[in-house]
Amino acid sequence: MKGFLAGFNLELRIIRSGPDALLPLFTAPLFTIIFLAIVRNGGRHDLQPDALMAPVLMTLWWFALFQGGNLITGDRWQGILEWALAAPTSFATVILGRVAAIMVFGFVGFFEVWGIGELVFGVGIPFKHPLALVLTIVGTMFAMAGTAVVFAALFVLTRNAYTFTNSASFPFYVLGGVFVPIAILPGWIQPVSSVIFMSWSADLLRASLKPEHIHDFWGRLGMVVLLGAVSFAIGRAVLALVLRRMRVTGELATA
Amino acid sequence: VTALASTANVMRHAFSAGIADYRAIFTWRSWVFGWMVRVVAQVSFFGLIGLRVADDRSAFYLLIGNALAVAAQAGVFSLNMTTTERWAGTLPLLVASPTSPVVVFAARGAYLAVDGALSAVLALFIAGPLFGLHLPWPRVVAVIPLTGLVALSAYCLGTFLAGLVFRFREINGLVVNTTYVGLMAACGVNVPLSYYPQAIEWLAHGLPLTNGLLAIREVFHGDAVGSILGHAGAEALVGAAWLTLALLTFNRLASRGRLDGSLDYGA
Repeated sequence: MKGFLAGFNLELRIIRSGPDALLPLFTAPLFTIIFLAIVRNGGRHDLQPDALMAPVLMTLWWFALFQGGNLITGDRWQGILEWALAAPTSFATVILGRVAAIMVFGFVGFFEVWGIGELVFGVGIPFKHPLALVLTIVGTMFAMAGTAVVFAALFVLTRNAYTFTNSASFPFYVLGGVFVPIAILPGWIQPVSSVIFMSWSADLLRASLKPEHIHDFWGRLGMVVLLGAVSFAIGRAVLALVLRRMRVTGELATA
Repeated sequence: VTALASTANVMRHAFSAGIADYRAIFTWRSWVFGWMVRVVAQVSFFGLIGLRVADDRSAFYLLIGNALAVAAQAGVFSLNMTTTERWAGTLPLLVASPTSPVVVFAARGAYLAVDGALSAVLALFIAGPLFGLHLPWPRVVAVIPLTGLVALSAYCLGTFLAGLVFRFREINGLVVNTTYVGLMAACGVNVPLSYYPQAIEWLAHGLPLTNGLLAIREVFHGDAVGSILGHAGAEALVGAAWLTLALLTFNRLASRGRLDGSLDYGA
């Protein structure tokens, strides 16, 4: 637990010291305005909850991808990875604490989007199924954290993670049905989308803001958690493999 | 004449250095399967929203707007130039050299305008037909130079902003991203300019992308050439105005860093 808390506090300090890390919290209000303007201009006021949930998911994804993904690479660049690994505390626990802090920061986006919607358009978040909404958000943050661990492990392997991070936003927003349900996508893409946890999260988030009964809530939430757990397991395994290889080859530092 | 030749020589070398930078970041494979996939997905994302909200017309409006926004986005990426120089440790050397830093930066990042225009045109010509957007031949050819104009205009804004954030590298990414998403929000990319209050509409006309996008929408509508050229002229004027501002302020802002020593890593 000490390692987890230390990682959590460390990441909070890192984020606080670099305003660039808070980037998604600056773009989320703009995307909220863009999406709400599109649906209102099209006369589709029924899609306003969807327009509010999209920037929330995009903010969380950005934090997982950029901030979470570059955790270990950043340590490596600063030459502190060897020290972190040599410490008696489990490295994975510290990383988990840091990822948790990132997700907590990402969650600020929810309130921000809510506030901007109210302030600019007078549109709030309709809490039609509050418990379902809270549980879905918690499940989504868990799955996002798992994805961040996978990114963190994989980015150490790449020569230039910049190319991937820069390219992995909108393709996943489409495949993850962040705004548009995957049912609208061509049939051949839908099987790919269904293994991306965001497609389940996005559907559930939208459903929890609408008055209709949520069909098979627990089963769908279970899929979000399951896919998140799979991500964690993959991330943990890849991380262990990568770090062992780096220790053997002496490539821990940015030589 | 010698001074002009010397400036042209510096610009040529700076442009080559920029191209070398870009080739270090992207191989042709990562450009096609990474960057272009993202760009086509970005445009398609908004096209799908258009389909969900209303119909094909709405999707086409969003497709064209967001494809052009890619040109502006890449142009604004020129802001990253100063940070790259700072990380490489070459910023103090550049400022100390007898050549004006703005000449070097403006030339070095110019490839971004080329890249932005190319990405935008490809995105439009790939994602457009996927959604059933008709590309009226041969009128649609006019989209290519107009997209180049938008990219250049945005690049001029990016160079001006690069001067402003010269000494504040910690907020560089923030300025880049909020600027281009701000352009997406204000410049008639997703909703007509008339949707917003009058003041925002006026402000939008002073930003890159707005007028060029109006010209491109008119190309698709088959409007009169005179009107299209009018909007294109306005886009060129806006770009020229931002470049003039960049030339007037960049060196002064950079030289402040010499006074307080904030150009180096440690600052």
